Amino acid sequence: MAARAYLCMVKVSARTVLTYRANFVLGLFAVFFQLLAMLYVWRLLLESGKDFGGYTWPQMKAYLLVAFVTSSLVSAYGDFRMAARIRDGLVSLDLVKPVTYQTARFAETVGRAALELAVTFAVAGSIALVTGGIPVPDLPQLLLFAVSIAAVVPLKFLVVYLSTLLCFWTQNYMGVAWARTSLVALLSGSLIPLVLLPSWLQTTAMLLPFASLTATPAAIYLGQATGGEALGLLLTQAGWVTVLWVAGRLVWRFAVRQLTVHGG
Amino acid sequence: MTTTRPIATARMYRRCLGAHLRAALEYEADFWILVVASIMMQATGVIFLGAVFARIPTLAGWTLAEVVLIYSLVVIAEGVGSLCFEGTWYLPWMVNQGDLDYTLVRPYPVVLQTMSGAVGLNGVGNLLTGGLLMAWSLSRVDVDWSPLRIALAVALFLSAVLIKLSVTLASTSACFWVFGASFMLPTALHQVGELAKYPVSVYSAGIRVALTVVIPFAFVSFYPAAAVLGHGQDSWVGLLTPLVAGYCVVVAGAVFRRGLRRYESSGN
Amino acid sequence: MPAATMAVMPVIEARELTKVFRRPDKSEGLRGSLRHLVTRRYTTTSAVDHVSLSIEPGEAVAYVGPNGAGKSTTVKLLSGILVPTSGEVVVGGIVPHRDRIANARQVGVLFGQRTQLWWDLPVRESLALLRDMYGIGPADYRAQLARFDEVLELGELLPVTARKLSLGQRMRADLAAALLHRPGIVYLDEPTIGLDIAVKDRVRDFLRRLVADGTTLILTTHDLGDIEDVCRRIAIIDGGRIIYDGGLDGVKDTFARERCMHVRLTTDVDPQSVAALLPDAEVTPGGSPGEFTIRFDRFVLTAGQVIATASSLAEIDDLLIDEPAIEDVVRKVYSGELELEPAEDGVGAGVGA
Repeated sequence: MAARAYLCMVKVSARTVLTYRANFVLGLFAVFFQLLAMLYVWRLLLESGKDFGGYTWPQMKAYLLVAFVTSSLVSAYGDFRMAARIRDGLVSLDLVKPVTYQTARFAETVGRAALELAVTFAVAGSIALVTGGIPVPDLPQLLLFAVSIAAVVPLKFLVVYLSTLLCFWTQNYMGVAWARTSLVALLSGSLIPLVLLPSWLQTTAMLLPFASLTATPAAIYLGQATGGEALGLLLTQAGWVTVLWVAGRLVWRFAVRQLTVHGG
Repeated sequence: MTTTRPIATARMYRRCLGAHLRAALEYEADFWILVVASIMMQATGVIFLGAVFARIPTLAGWTLAEVVLIYSLVVIAEGVGSLCFEGTWYLPWMVNQGDLDYTLVRPYPVVLQTMSGAVGLNGVGNLLTGGLLMAWSLSRVDVDWSPLRIALAVALFLSAVLIKLSVTLASTSACFWVFGASFMLPTALHQVGELAKYPVSVYSAGIRVALTVVIPFAFVSFYPAAAVLGHGQDSWVGLLTPLVAGYCVVVAGAVFRRGLRRYESSGN
Repeated sequence: MPAATMAVMPVIEARELTKVFRRPDKSEGLRGSLRHLVTRRYTTTSAVDHVSLSIEPGEAVAYVGPNGAGKSTTVKLLSGILVPTSGEVVVGGIVPHRDRIANARQVGVLFGQRTQLWWDLPVRESLALLRDMYGIGPADYRAQLARFDEVLELGELLPVTARKLSLGQRMRADLAAALLHRPGIVYLDEPTIGLDIAVKDRVRDFLRRLVADGTTLILTTHDLGDIEDVCRRIAIIDGGRIIYDGGLDGVKDTFARERCMHVRLTTDVDPQSVAALLPDAEVTPGGSPGEFTIRFDRFVLTAGQVIATASSLAEIDDLLIDEPAIEDVVRKVYSGELELEPAEDGVGAGVGA
């Protein structure tokens, strides 16, 4: 019964994705120009012959494109709507609905994710073709990569969701979103491969869920992690999804208690 | 007070901005969140540069200190834009809602009323980061600081900021012509401006030309920095920055005025 | 009345003022937008259609018409907010949309549906910003605040942030903002909307005094009390055209075509027989036998015909004709029921009471 409700939300969200298209394209645009700058900078850097974590130019291209895909996913600004509803107290209306808030938001995210995946992969593929191609892993590795990308959707949703819940305590979601974007860019590896960061930052990134967002799919795609190691990374992703899912529920319960105590 | 006099006009601008700043500062938590967030955003870029330059001495012939100067110019231009001219970003919204009505019946230029209509506290973080980066860079670069060169740097850097502001104004003014997409164009252009955080010599010829002639973002950072540093044979191009700024200001003003004639208020 | 005395120069002069709005002719959604890019089809509507107005200094003019008739658009054209598609407008010797800053100094504008106060600022800050924009001296500013406090009880609103004001409070503060610089020409679009009776009365009193002091006022309103209290001239716009412009009293002569006659006959007469003789009128029986109320269109029947018919049945004992109320006319104007043909009789434009 409840499952059918969520499935319905997935469908509705997928259909209304077009209403968010302006925001989605905008988000894509932002990441696209960063990608463009990075592509040129890295080509130049790798042509210099210096060693950058052992990456060749085609590998770095592949890395940047994977990072482009993972950074563009779950960015259709459902979080801004959620933040506004929390700030304006409208969220109390969502409380009386017979669905779990977190699952409902996740269902919407999944609905949008299909189109996001299609568009970002199309863009990334075109760039790969225009810039002279990227290495493609063999089929088993490609499957592992697909799983790791699929895991990015719930994981990124949870990171966004948890940070949006901060709106129960602060008015300014813009700042929260910016801070999260920066943190994720740095510690996920989408800014620069983690191996090129100072070792203390690398260690920090590895201990946090962020590395599972970009570094993991990229490592699997490039064949830097294969077999058991790749499975270990996927398990880590699953582990973080579980931990953050529970954390989300706990924070939500805490936040709602605060809402009802202070009268929203 | 006659508002046609430039000093009085500037003073009035400061008054408007000051009032909004006071209002914005009432939410202390918001202030800190925005400042910290904007510092974090800029810091990621710096960390990237640091990581790269830990392995190579120069990028396209530019040292770390020199690239940081380019980078800081973009950050500072964005900071000035957010802190002092944030209202520009709200123009599409105001036009859509018909909120320009009252500004048209007040004895103060509409464009200045619009630009001073909001304060972006994230600008504080940008200015802090950008200022620190620029100070660090200038203390490291190999430049002979004669009074003339200092004057040149001030003139070029101020012109650079004007260019960034003008592009923003011109792009938000598109809302007078196109309704739906008007919110996207300015933000998209702003993203293009991110390309100017690195020496434009890293890009292909097409992009370089686009950033020089079509939307002169290269004059926000790369060319003025090159001129002040005396970097390369083409560094004289940076001396054109004030001219480009003048051109941009005139074009942006004209676009805004032409747009204003098309303003249709709302509720019709 | 104005039209007769040519010696005084009008302060607001609009000739053949026209505003055409062009709306893209596109269907919803992305596909519609794309198709529009190719076809470029537009629909045009004339919100204001060859409107001519001539208003003399110190006049108070009520500007009324149904929703969407072009009231606000006219006000926006007169105040320089909109650029006219064709026609001319001169206000105080200035073309408003061409010299906006000079125009701004001489006019005050209020749109009741929308505030000019800065949303995030306390009222005091907004007024201080306006003071500085208009270059109002400190003594004059204090005097104005005192005046507004007396009439609008502004004092209690000064420390409140605009977004926290109730509708009525906001309107009071907005009136102060619009009139702070003592403009000689004032455009008020629905200035009493949402106000309670007591404040409404004070505002009207304030507006009357403003007009008495020589301020020229154009007042757009749904409130008949505003019109009758403040204005002696009324202009009615419908479908973008002015259909009446003249004295307030002239309106009822022109438009109130329905007459209502109460008749008491000395003997009991069947209402049906009265109705049979007056097929164009509506006859309703009154409270007691022999009493009738007869409603008729004065362009179809004259009062004399009705009386003659009634007296042919029995002697008339008593007779009362209801005074046509401006209220009825204006209400009809707003509900869009007004019928136009009388304007051709020459009773209309420019003729005062």
